[in-house]
Amino acid sequence: MSQRELDNLVHSIAKSGDQLGTLERRRFLKSGLILAGAAASSAAAQSPDHLPPSTPPWSRSLGRGVVSHPYGSPSQHEHHVQRRTVDWLTADHISSISFTPLADLSGIVTPSGVVFERYHAGVPEISPDQHRLMIHGLVERPIILSMDDLVRFPCESMIRFLECPANGGMEWRGAQMDKLQFSHGMLACCEWTGVRLSTLLEEVGLKKDAAWILAEGADGSSMSRSIPMDKALDDALIVYAQNGEMLRPEQGYPLRLINPGWEGNTCVKWLRRLEVGDQPWYQREETSKYTDLMPDGRAREFTYVQECNSVVTSPCPEKPLSEPGKYQIQGLAWSGRGRIKAVDVSVDGGVSWRQARFTSEVLPKALTRFALEWSWDGSPALIQSRAIDETGYVQPTYGQLRQVRGSNSIYHKNAIHTWRLSPNGAVSNVQIS
Amino acid sequence: MCRSLNLLGRWLLSLTGVLILSACAQNELTQPSLSAGDRIIGYSGQRVGLYGYGHPISATEIAGWDIDIRPDGVGLPPGNGSVEQGEWLYEEQCAECHGSFGEGVGRYPVLAGGEGSLQDARPSKTVGSYWPYTTTLFDYIRRTMPFTQPQSLSDDETYALTAYVLYLNDLVDDDLVLNQHNLATITLPNQANFIPDPRPDVANIRCMSNCRDPAAIRIHSEVAPPPDPVVLTAQVQDQSSTPVHPGREHYELFCSVCHKQGVGGAPIPGNAAHWQARMQRGLPDLVSNAINGIVGDTGVMPPKGGFMQLTDAEVAAAVEYMLGERRD
Repeated sequence: MSQRELDNLVHSIAKSGDQLGTLERRRFLKSGLILAGAAASSAAAQSPDHLPPSTPPWSRSLGRGVVSHPYGSPSQHEHHVQRRTVDWLTADHISSISFTPLADLSGIVTPSGVVFERYHAGVPEISPDQHRLMIHGLVERPIILSMDDLVRFPCESMIRFLECPANGGMEWRGAQMDKLQFSHGMLACCEWTGVRLSTLLEEVGLKKDAAWILAEGADGSSMSRSIPMDKALDDALIVYAQNGEMLRPEQGYPLRLINPGWEGNTCVKWLRRLEVGDQPWYQREETSKYTDLMPDGRAREFTYVQECNSVVTSPCPEKPLSEPGKYQIQGLAWSGRGRIKAVDVSVDGGVSWRQARFTSEVLPKALTRFALEWSWDGSPALIQSRAIDETGYVQPTYGQLRQVRGSNSIYHKNAIHTWRLSPNGAVSNVQIS
Repeated sequence: MCRSLNLLGRWLLSLTGVLILSACAQNELTQPSLSAGDRIIGYSGQRVGLYGYGHPISATEIAGWDIDIRPDGVGLPPGNGSVEQGEWLYEEQCAECHGSFGEGVGRYPVLAGGEGSLQDARPSKTVGSYWPYTTTLFDYIRRTMPFTQPQSLSDDETYALTAYVLYLNDLVDDDLVLNQHNLATITLPNQANFIPDPRPDVANIRCMSNCRDPAAIRIHSEVAPPPDPVVLTAQVQDQSSTPVHPGREHYELFCSVCHKQGVGGAPIPGNAAHWQARMQRGLPDLVSNAINGIVGDTGVMPPKGGFMQLTDAEVAAAVEYMLGERRD
C-alpha cells in the first residue's frame, strides 16, 4: 500500500466517523487506527525506512522530555509482558492467583509489577501512617510498632525467591498448562529489605517456652500461619521494601513477612500481628490447605520448604525456535535449602545430560540463571533441566515423586519438566515416562 | 489534645533532639516507651528493649486483635450458639456460596461430605473428611466469613455457624449448643492422620550418559502449544484499543464475585429474566440499592457488595455496565 493510499484510507475512516455517535465514533476510529497501523507496517516492510541505508524517523526527531512520565513504565512494545490468571482455577478474582510471565524476563530479579499475585480477600489499601505491627504473647515486653518505628531498626537487604507451594500443582496428573507462565509462574525473586525478625524478637524478649509464632495479615482474610521459632531466629525478615522501593500493594504494602526458601503462603502480607506461643495454632491455611495428602490418606503438615527445582525458559511454548541453528538453552533453578550447585540439561528426554553454565550470580535461596549452547538440527527434541543444590539433592523425576506421593498432594511439585520441540520450532508441554 | 501533643513533640524534637513519637494515632491511654533503666533481660540474656521503639501495649488493646484459637481451645471467647440458630444464619449468609448442604456452589469450597474419600482418585477434603480440629473452623469463620463482610459476625453467631457446619457433617446432634467449654472437646475424625514432613523423601541420582533406554520413552500427556506469540501480542493490543465501559473494571474486580454466577440471587449480566423486573424500578433505584444494600425477594446484597472502599460513583458505573451487558 502506497503512502497516498494509506492517507486516503485514514481520511475516509475519519470522515465516515463524523456521522457516528460519540462512543461508536471512538470505537470506529480505534478500529480504523488498527487497520491503518497494519497497513503502515506492511508499507514499512516494502520500504524499510528504519533500516540502513535509510535513517529511521526517531533519529530525525525529538523524543519526550524529562518527567513526562514521573514514574516510568516499560516500553509500549513490552505490553504483552503481563501477569495473567487462569479463570477455571478459582471461583473469583478476589481470592485467586495470577502468574509471573517468566518467559519474557531476564536475570534473577523479577520486576515488582509482574510478580505473581495471591490474595485470599483481595488487595487492601492501607496507609502506612495507619498501619501497626503488634508483637505479643510469650514475650517480656509486648509492643505495637508504627512503620516509622520499624524503619529505625537495623535493616538488611537480601535477594530471595518467593514461590507458591502450589506452583505447578495442576500438573500432578499430567501436562495441563499450555504455557511456561502457567506451568511455573507462581514464582518470583526480588530484593527484599527490612528488619530481621530475630531483631524484633530480641527487642520484645522471648519467654522460656516460646517455640512458635503466629503471623497474621491485616487484609479481609486476616491470613495467618504458624512459624517455628527456629526459622524466625534464622533468616526470617520483616520486609517493607522490594526491589529498591516500598513494597507493592500486591506484595503486602506496607509490611510483610519473608521466610526465605519457604512456601510463599507463610510470607504473610499486610502483616499486622506476631504472637509468640508454645505450640502451633493449626490455622485453616495449615490444615484444610497447604497440607500434602498422601496416597494412604494421611497428610503431611507444616511442609514449609520449597525443594530444589528448575525449568527451561527458552525455548518454551511462548518462545518457539524460528529455524535450525545455534541456540542458548536458558532457564531458572532455585532451592529453598540454599545455593544451586549445578544444573544439567538434556535434549533427548533424559538419556544424556550436559552441565549448563551459570549466567547469573549464585545466591542462596534465590533464582539462578543457567544456559547451555546447543545446535538444533531441526529434529524433534525433548528438552529438560535438572538442578542439584548444595545439599546434594538432585531434582527428581515425576515417576519418583508420584511413587512416594501419588498425585493428589497438590503442593510442592518440583519434578524435572519436559518441553517437546517439534520440527517446526513449536514447543509444547509434555510429560514422559 | 492530640494536636498540642504533636506541637509539644515537634518543639522538643527541635530543642533537644529527643524523638517524641506522635500519640495521635495511638490509643491515648498508652504510655511512653520504657526508659533505659527499665530494660528487661529475656531468658537467653537478650537485650530486651534495646531500641525502645514503639509503645508497650495493654491487654485490652491486644484483646481487640488477638482473634486466634488454638486446638486446645485457648482463645475461645465466651458465648454460645445452637445448631438451630446456625441453620438460620447459614441459609442467610453462607448457603449462597457453600450450598444449602455444604456441597459448594461453583468453585466455592465444599464444607461437608467426602468421608472415606481421601484415598480416592478425586478426594473430597471437607471439615468432616479432612480438617483436624473444630477450633480451626471457629477461628476461620470468625476471621474471614462471610466472604464479602469478614469479621462481621458476633461470637454467638460464630458458635452457631460452627455448630451447624459440624451438624452438616453428621458430627453432632441437632440439639447441640456450642460454647467456649465444649467446642474444643469435639474431635474430628481425621485428626490422627496428619503427619510431620519427612522430606527429602525422594533420591534422584545425577546420571550424565546412557541414563535410560531411548526406545522406551513414551509421551503420556501433552498440551498443544499456544498460538503464535506474535498473534498473542496483537490480541492484547486489540483488547486495549476497544472502548471499555468505565464500570467494567470494578465489575470484574468486585461485583463479578457474586454477579457472574448469580451467587445469593444476584442478577447475572446478560440474563434478561434476571433484569426485567429490576429495570422497571429504574436505574437510580438500582444504583441506590447497590450502594446501600438490599434484602430482596430473591437474595441479599450487602452495601456496595461489602467492598466499602468503592466510591458511590464507582458503584453506579458498575451498575450501568451490568445493564449495558444486559442489552448486548
